[in-house]
Amino acid sequence: MISKNLAKDVLNACLETGGDFAEIFIEDTVKDLISLDNGNCEQATTNYVYGAGIRILKGLQSVYGYTNDLSRSGLMNLACNLSKSFHDQRIKTVNEIKTVRVGKSHQPKVPYENVSKKERIDYLLKGSNACMNYDKKIVRVMIGFTSTNQKVYIFNSDGKFIRDTRVRGRCFINAIASNGVAIESSGEGPGALKGFEFFNDEIDIVKVGEDVARVACMLLDAKECPSGKMPVIIGNGFGGVIFHEACGHSLEASSVSKNLSVFSNKLGTQIASSIVSAVDDGTIEGAWGSENVDDEGHKTHRNLLIKNGVLNSYLVDSFNGRRMNAHENGASRRESYKFEPTSRMSNTFILPGKSTPEEIIKATKFGLYAKSMGGGSVNPATGEFNFAVNEAYIVENGEIAYPVKGATLIGSGKDVLLKIDMVGNDLKRAQGMCGAASGSVPTDVGQPTIRVSEMTVGGRGEKLN
Amino acid sequence: MNYSVYFQKAKDQGIDELELSITSTKKLSIDVFRGEIESFSSSLTKALQARGKIGNKVGYVNSENFDRKKVDELIGQIKENAENNNSKDECIIFKGSEKYTKKIVFNKKLEETSVDDKIALLKEIEHKAKLKDSRIKDVTVSYQEEQSEKVLENSYGLKLKDKSNYFMIYCSVVCGDENETKNGGDYILGNDLSICNVDDFVDRVCADALDQLGGEPCDSKKYKAVFNPSVTISLLNFFIHNTIAEEVQKNTSLLKDKLNQLVTSKKITIEERPLDRGIFFRYFDDEGVATYNKKIIDKGILKTYLYNLATAKKDGCASTGNGYRGSGKVGTSTSSLTIRPGKKSLDELFAKVGNGIYITDVAGLHAGMNAQSGNFSLQANGYLIENGKKTKPVCLITIAGNLFEVFKNVIEVGNDVKTTFQGFCPSVVVKSISVSGK
Repeated sequence: MISKNLAKDVLNACLETGGDFAEIFIEDTVKDLISLDNGNCEQATTNYVYGAGIRILKGLQSVYGYTNDLSRSGLMNLACNLSKSFHDQRIKTVNEIKTVRVGKSHQPKVPYENVSKKERIDYLLKGSNACMNYDKKIVRVMIGFTSTNQKVYIFNSDGKFIRDTRVRGRCFINAIASNGVAIESSGEGPGALKGFEFFNDEIDIVKVGEDVARVACMLLDAKECPSGKMPVIIGNGFGGVIFHEACGHSLEASSVSKNLSVFSNKLGTQIASSIVSAVDDGTIEGAWGSENVDDEGHKTHRNLLIKNGVLNSYLVDSFNGRRMNAHENGASRRESYKFEPTSRMSNTFILPGKSTPEEIIKATKFGLYAKSMGGGSVNPATGEFNFAVNEAYIVENGEIAYPVKGATLIGSGKDVLLKIDMVGNDLKRAQGMCGAASGSVPTDVGQPTIRVSEMTVGGRGEKLN
Repeated sequence: MNYSVYFQKAKDQGIDELELSITSTKKLSIDVFRGEIESFSSSLTKALQARGKIGNKVGYVNSENFDRKKVDELIGQIKENAENNNSKDECIIFKGSEKYTKKIVFNKKLEETSVDDKIALLKEIEHKAKLKDSRIKDVTVSYQEEQSEKVLENSYGLKLKDKSNYFMIYCSVVCGDENETKNGGDYILGNDLSICNVDDFVDRVCADALDQLGGEPCDSKKYKAVFNPSVTISLLNFFIHNTIAEEVQKNTSLLKDKLNQLVTSKKITIEERPLDRGIFFRYFDDEGVATYNKKIIDKGILKTYLYNLATAKKDGCASTGNGYRGSGKVGTSTSSLTIRPGKKSLDELFAKVGNGIYITDVAGLHAGMNAQSGNFSLQANGYLIENGKKTKPVCLITIAGNLFEVFKNVIEVGNDVKTTFQGFCPSVVVKSISVSGK
């Protein structure tokens, strides 16, 4: 950490050549990782992330730099180098820096430093053993645990000093099943912005291990998914990745402000079926993607993105907000001091509707039930996306008929949102890491079970028409 | 900087063997959008990766904090991490190879070229792309330059140093009208800016976007296909993963027990060439083992698995110099893969296919590819090939198949080699691929 005095000097050096805003983001993070392979602790690693990122804005231009030399000379050199990008007279001076008090939500009850590595390994072994013992076909179980303690210190030319501490933990489990001919895998990764109490009280690691094993074994015998256009029921929890990829990214100011998004200039218009409402909520107590303040030091918000199908709000960081004349809404994030912050999602999900999941299946004559999704990606310019489906079933005459594997869902975000014709009442969130321009940040995706009236399904099985 | 204090403290705390890998990195990145510098970033960082052994147990620490006062804490963490390790895999701190083939690949000129000159080059690309066609709506050009100096030091007195640099220019364009939007892009990778042929590059990038306009899904059926170099190398990366000895030893590779057998088409020769002069040059791997050029697949025959020190000892052979360290345990990786090019140009490949499909882009590899089974289902874009020529654009299709079958079904390799981040790769012709479209 640096003194307010040094911060003031660095900020003023940044503003020397006409910059209208300057910011120092300092990070001191410790990450612990433990991973087990077939029950053996293969590695325990400690990572120290330590450095400062400096940003200068001038109108619609930004310059960014970072270093892990936090000495006066290291920071002043970086500030002077960056300021050389501009060539005007000083228009702003920082005279005083005052501490801004921020909320203290999301405090860990059992801090990770109180949980020895041996205790963490014992916890993981319970999940690993449950997974391995589930079926003889399970040939490999990889399980891991990460804990992160990120301390951030933000100084800016508005004379503000903001600090926040984010304590997160996440457990990963992956199982590989083999029957001698085929090899299939499955995984889960629960996590939270909480201490170890989350794993003790909220996660049944034995059940998680068994569940992962069950899906991997099931896939061995599953038929190849047929291809063609059909109704698709997308399960709750990680099924929300569809909304994250197909819609969420296109609502980020980084693409909206440049007219690079299919949803640019669409505020107030119908972009989804009227039964769809969705939020991005960075304030949920202890949720994986929550924070007290974003990485510019602004308070996080609950942003209602879509209300009854109508586009209500974008996710805006202060820099891109300048281009689109919009105020930031606590959505500016970055992986570390090595990244310039930009608009990102936190916990993004479709709000619950009225149908039960059983009703949705019952109402479907023929279709795919994508119970759990793999990852996916989207082209923000066209909105075209693809998702892999992990656990999937064919639905026939309102009943789950048989499991299938190898399904991919493809389409474009704006079409799919309009084709959602049923929304369930079983909202659930699931954890992921979201990668974009400002690095990889923890985010929750989520939704209740939903149905899309028609979607293109890619698979290696028969072709349906 | 002198790191003897780390070795001394480690010894004091009972750590028998210690290895330090220190990387100093200087980066520059510039984005130009609508004629202006939209973002500019420069950085100077230094990172330490350390691993230490107590008996046969190993602990890892990575740190960006070089404060002397932190040394005790770091060594203490290595010790605690080692004490909790019970891996059956051995960790070997290396005494050194007999011979290292050191070459100077660092290009001083790249660093000396002024930032203003680099910006001028980007603006020229942006300007020319914009003027290319009235349907081009937006152009983004970005520049990235990285210079890194690496030092590997261990308690056996091994000390190796390497310095390299590279740049990448990436240009993407968005084109279309009110009914349709397409984007396209391409990049140039190297460490000598004089290789940039701006007009040629702009032509390529603009064509990549414009040619896709009017694209629609094609009929669902099996097609004879040409995969462009980017698509080919993406698939190749997954294929090569199966030659990693650790995967073979742990029964998660389908190339187990396939050494000296035909595993791909005879048209395919895959090499790793880390000692070729260029941006991928590295003369020692992350464990300090000397690297060498080698054939992995020779005319379809699997010649070797890829080893680091630990997996090599298990199989009773020598490391192939493929030790790779991410943030912890040493894994296995390649630095520059090459599919040996054939003689035919891209147009001749189209002629050979006659009627089929030209796949230019695949998305969703991180999720749509099962790295174990090789089964994939991927979103793809491309063009139809009709009567030996590239014709209508095709989008929103999926291609599905099996990685191993694809490489067995390669019937021709082109001469259109592209430099990618993974290595050098030409286009290939695949006998049959299943396409799901309309």
